[in-house]
Amino acid sequence: MRVFIIDPDEARAALVAEGLADIKPLEVRRVASLDAVGADLDAFAPDVIVVACESSDRDTLEGLREVTEANPRPVVMFVDRSAPGLAQAAVEAGVAAYVVDGLAPGRIRPVLEVALSRFQLMQGLRSDLTKARADLASRKTIERAKGLLMKERGIDEEAAYGSLRSLAMNTGRPIAAVAADLIAYANVLKGGGQ
Amino acid sequence: MSLEKTHVDLGFIPLTDCAPLAAAKTLGFYEEEGLDVSLIAQASWANVRDRLAAGLLDGAHMLGPMAVAQSLGLGSDATAIIAPMALNLNGSAITVSTAVADRLRQLDPDGMAAPRRSAEGLARLAAARRAEGLPPLTFAVVFPYSIHNYQLRYWLAAGGVRPDHDVRLTVVPPPRMVEKLAAGEIDGFCVTAPWNGLAVRRGIGEIVLFASDWWGATPDKVLGVTNNWAEENPRTLQAILRATLRGAAWCDEPENRPTLASILAQPAYVGAPEAALRLSLLGSPPLTQAAPVGPERDYIVFNRYAANFPWRSHALWFLSQMQRWGQAPRDPALEPAAAAVYRPDLYRTAAAAVGQAAPRVDLKVEGAHAEPWILGDTPSSLAMPADRLLDGRAFDPADFAGYVDGFEVGHPAGTPD
Repeated sequence: MRVFIIDPDEARAALVAEGLADIKPLEVRRVASLDAVGADLDAFAPDVIVVACESSDRDTLEGLREVTEANPRPVVMFVDRSAPGLAQAAVEAGVAAYVVDGLAPGRIRPVLEVALSRFQLMQGLRSDLTKARADLASRKTIERAKGLLMKERGIDEEAAYGSLRSLAMNTGRPIAAVAADLIAYANVLKGGGQ
Repeated sequence: MSLEKTHVDLGFIPLTDCAPLAAAKTLGFYEEEGLDVSLIAQASWANVRDRLAAGLLDGAHMLGPMAVAQSLGLGSDATAIIAPMALNLNGSAITVSTAVADRLRQLDPDGMAAPRRSAEGLARLAAARRAEGLPPLTFAVVFPYSIHNYQLRYWLAAGGVRPDHDVRLTVVPPPRMVEKLAAGEIDGFCVTAPWNGLAVRRGIGEIVLFASDWWGATPDKVLGVTNNWAEENPRTLQAILRATLRGAAWCDEPENRPTLASILAQPAYVGAPEAALRLSLLGSPPLTQAAPVGPERDYIVFNRYAANFPWRSHALWFLSQMQRWGQAPRDPALEPAAAAVYRPDLYRTAAAAVGQAAPRVDLKVEGAHAEPWILGDTPSSLAMPADRLLDGRAFDPADFAGYVDGFEVGHPAGTPD
């Protein structure tokens, strides 16, 4: 079975390809976009096309479902009705699959499952990274606000953190948000505007 | 009564006809309704369809035929979509490469000089290429279920070109049409503004047919939501419709068009050069780089002529073309199903609330008027444009099957049964 992966995210495409290595017999090719192979997808003759939803090539693939003289092998969007929720999970993870009409769903399902799990893995890594960055930024803000309080009120670090925390609890807001406000107000009072 | 939900995500594709949504957002019309609307650009129409079905979008700027196809389960699993308002009339055009345009002028000088340029020269060019063993010319549309696909096929067939035999048809996302034409990967395309004007401005393409010359009142985009969403959020939907209708009316005031061009030029919306956007908003794009900008000629219409009214005859016309080109079976049960996607009842409620006149009838004979006319069946009469189709054939929804049977050129395999 030949699988063609279209994904502008090279790292993710490599992750999907690696996951597919266990499914045999299989030949995997991957490209960032259809432009890389020209308009002629036929030369690759893939059985399954795995495509990232953020790729603008999806509509071109939808066009290949029309049977014409130039396009005798229509592709269809693959939706596995025997696995409820799979299609929804794929859309949420940002991946779609197209198959050459007539291929047995049983053969395609493992491919889609691998693609889906790798996309979900990547999505998880990305959101962890975003969260880690946000956490780091929050910590820096809290440090600055603490420094400000220590300097202005002549208190120690523990007392400065304590007043930030009680302010956060009293207003029902995250401590980083309270710290950010404090820094902004201090700037205004110093005549620094924003 | 309060809204069922105040934060609403609407998907769109970067095209001039997302204007009513962009204007309603920019001018604060959604905010005035208590709505916090996010307009989220989508990478493809397929994504719009799938994300709507999965509930990841609340609503979207959609191709009218796509709303019908998705509801009927053509090209995807069936999800009941409703279109409670249209976003525009006209706005699309067919462009060919300058090289093809020059060949057409040699092969069919009269047809290329006519006000409505004919595809007869293209039929000769296709035959000549076949005889010389050259590959067929390639034309791109934006989606299989789109007015662009049907407009291009209609024009080709009327000129004696068999779309599935004499040329190759492909699908290209709108923002990529111009670069593909420049690279010689395609020989022509049918797409909505601003991309035709941009191809002309860059000197790589020549416009052969405006939608406004093909039909006069060409239905194109709609605002679509799933039927389930509409039933769960009726007040929110009405609020969206009221604000979007006000946005559409604002877009059609000539004095607002320059501002509209600068709104749409932002990367968050169409992201095309403002000068290219102005070509199709302040007049009509010149046919060639050397030609002057044309008069406005209804190149794109956002509100006048009852442009936002979801005519059930539009949904039925789309179905007629799906059957003509082998996308849908010839099943009479599809007619009421297609018509039901368009919801004039929901439109009338919203239009009355913002003081816009709405037709009382759900259907009209399409393409029956050679001259501008008055739609009298409303509380206040509505001016309507001439709407004759290229070949003069009118579409009477009462004789649906007869209309589909009457086309000489259709899909080579006939329509599936």
